[in-house]
Amino acid sequence: MPRSAFLDLARPSRRHWLGYLLLAPAVLLIALIIVYPLFVSVDLSFQNVNIARLDQPRRPFTTANYERLFASEDFWNACWVTFKLVTIVSFFCFLLGLGTALLVNNRFKGQALARLLVALPWAIPEVIAVVIFAWLFDSSFGLMNWLFIKLGLVDQTINWFSSPDAAFAVVCTVMVWKGYPFVSIMMLAGLQSIPEDFYNAAKVDGARAWQRLVHITIPSLMPVIGVTLVLVMLWVFRDFSIIYVLTGGGPLKATQSLSIMTYEQAFGFFKMGYASAIGVITLIVCVIASRLMIARAPDNI
Amino acid sequence: MRRKTTQHALLYAGVVLTCAILVFPIYWLVVTALSEPSQLRQLPPSFWPAEPRWGVFGQIMAERPILLWLGNSALAAIGAVTISMIVSVLAGYSLSRFRVRGGQSLGLFILTAKMLPATLLVIPLFGIFRNLELIGSLWSIILAHATLIIPFTTWMLKGYFDTIPRELEQAAMVDGCSPLGALVRVILPVSAPGLAATALYGFVLSWSDYAYARTFLTNAQGNWTANLGITTMKGEYISNWSDISAASILVALPILAIYLFLERYLVGGLTAGAEK
Repeated sequence: MPRSAFLDLARPSRRHWLGYLLLAPAVLLIALIIVYPLFVSVDLSFQNVNIARLDQPRRPFTTANYERLFASEDFWNACWVTFKLVTIVSFFCFLLGLGTALLVNNRFKGQALARLLVALPWAIPEVIAVVIFAWLFDSSFGLMNWLFIKLGLVDQTINWFSSPDAAFAVVCTVMVWKGYPFVSIMMLAGLQSIPEDFYNAAKVDGARAWQRLVHITIPSLMPVIGVTLVLVMLWVFRDFSIIYVLTGGGPLKATQSLSIMTYEQAFGFFKMGYASAIGVITLIVCVIASRLMIARAPDNI
Repeated sequence: MRRKTTQHALLYAGVVLTCAILVFPIYWLVVTALSEPSQLRQLPPSFWPAEPRWGVFGQIMAERPILLWLGNSALAAIGAVTISMIVSVLAGYSLSRFRVRGGQSLGLFILTAKMLPATLLVIPLFGIFRNLELIGSLWSIILAHATLIIPFTTWMLKGYFDTIPRELEQAAMVDGCSPLGALVRVILPVSAPGLAATALYGFVLSWSDYAYARTFLTNAQGNWTANLGITTMKGEYISNWSDISAASILVALPILAIYLFLERYLVGGLTAGAEK
């Protein structure tokens, strides 16, 4: 890489020194509020600690937390719940996100407004999204029960939050509604970067709309799809607020993901060493996933 | 010609239907807020209240400390964004313009930090803040939100600075500006829209947080943020859905306003750093 013109301007040594100086506040702050806490949590995961007290001497090193974790049924249940959640939510976020993006990418009057509306749930805080859906799925006067009965799908009201399957479905619904606009926004950006010429050439060759989608649009979107997929999956994987406020992980741990279990152990039962061990496992997954994404990220978005 | 018209009609129908279904939950929030609680218990439901009670917003502000919650959320967000922007402008500029040793690994680390699970970080932060006696104070979430915001803003700003031609600072420096002077007097004014978008994005991140506020502030009622306050209303024994909905609208409004402004920049913010 050639040395930039800016650095060549005068006395490059001084510029370098300034480069370090400019980075210093960020490095210092990140070290204090991100790196140090990360070390503390890894350290906690190897101790038998209930409430994290940094002013007390460190407890002896032990791998008991991890041993307990891997022997725990709850942990494997949480892994399974998280896996189901990540798969189902990401799938529907993509279906809906890509669909809406293709739809509003057409030229028509009011396109700007349609674009704004289609991504609107992005702008609703997660807690508020939960309020909206908790009321929609209310067991006695919720609109969804009324609608389901009206459509003849069920013959009596469903108590959404006391049946494990129903509660899981509601959690998925909220997450898809909150998550698909992100996919939509990313896909729209990707669609816009596909040269118009591709489509014109295909039209000249007599390609039908469906063929254009499969042979031009989807392959051109592939890099963006890859990054977006990882980001969506990571968001579902890490999400705390939606599940915690909606179901608290219940009923019968049916919606207890790894994040919820971590939090519950740490601040519900005050087993912070054990909770940190679960947290470290989630951390490893997140780091691997983000590294995969960084390695494959395209240069053009 | 006729085929074209049919296609167009189908397209419109599709767009209208999709928008209607996807935006309906937000519409229903508004309807619920404007309905009398007794109306909400009637079936079939009415899709627009006979007598919208527009006064509900004033009433709810009088009955509940919503303004206090909103104020706390705003203070926390402003604090976290200010701290984050100061360090991110400097770091983003450095990453964009200088070749420092370790700069690239720092960039990669920051990128990974965007993916950290909050439920892990919240445990050690709880211990640290307890030591510093910050639990219950807004400073706890200001610092915690900075962990969410800095990775985003640093990458957004680096990307933004990358688009500004280097000739601009060079010209300023030929005219006798110091490098720092060039940043403050030339680059920052030129980047004003990018800085605003980045700061607003950080504001959204802070405003939307629930996990940290729930953990650090639950026992300090006077410092509750808007999201925390709303969840306590939802948790009450008998939920008054119209009041909760009205309060929720007040909490969502600032973010909706920002969204309208930010829409143009959204892709930049969401993908910041994805291109490494």
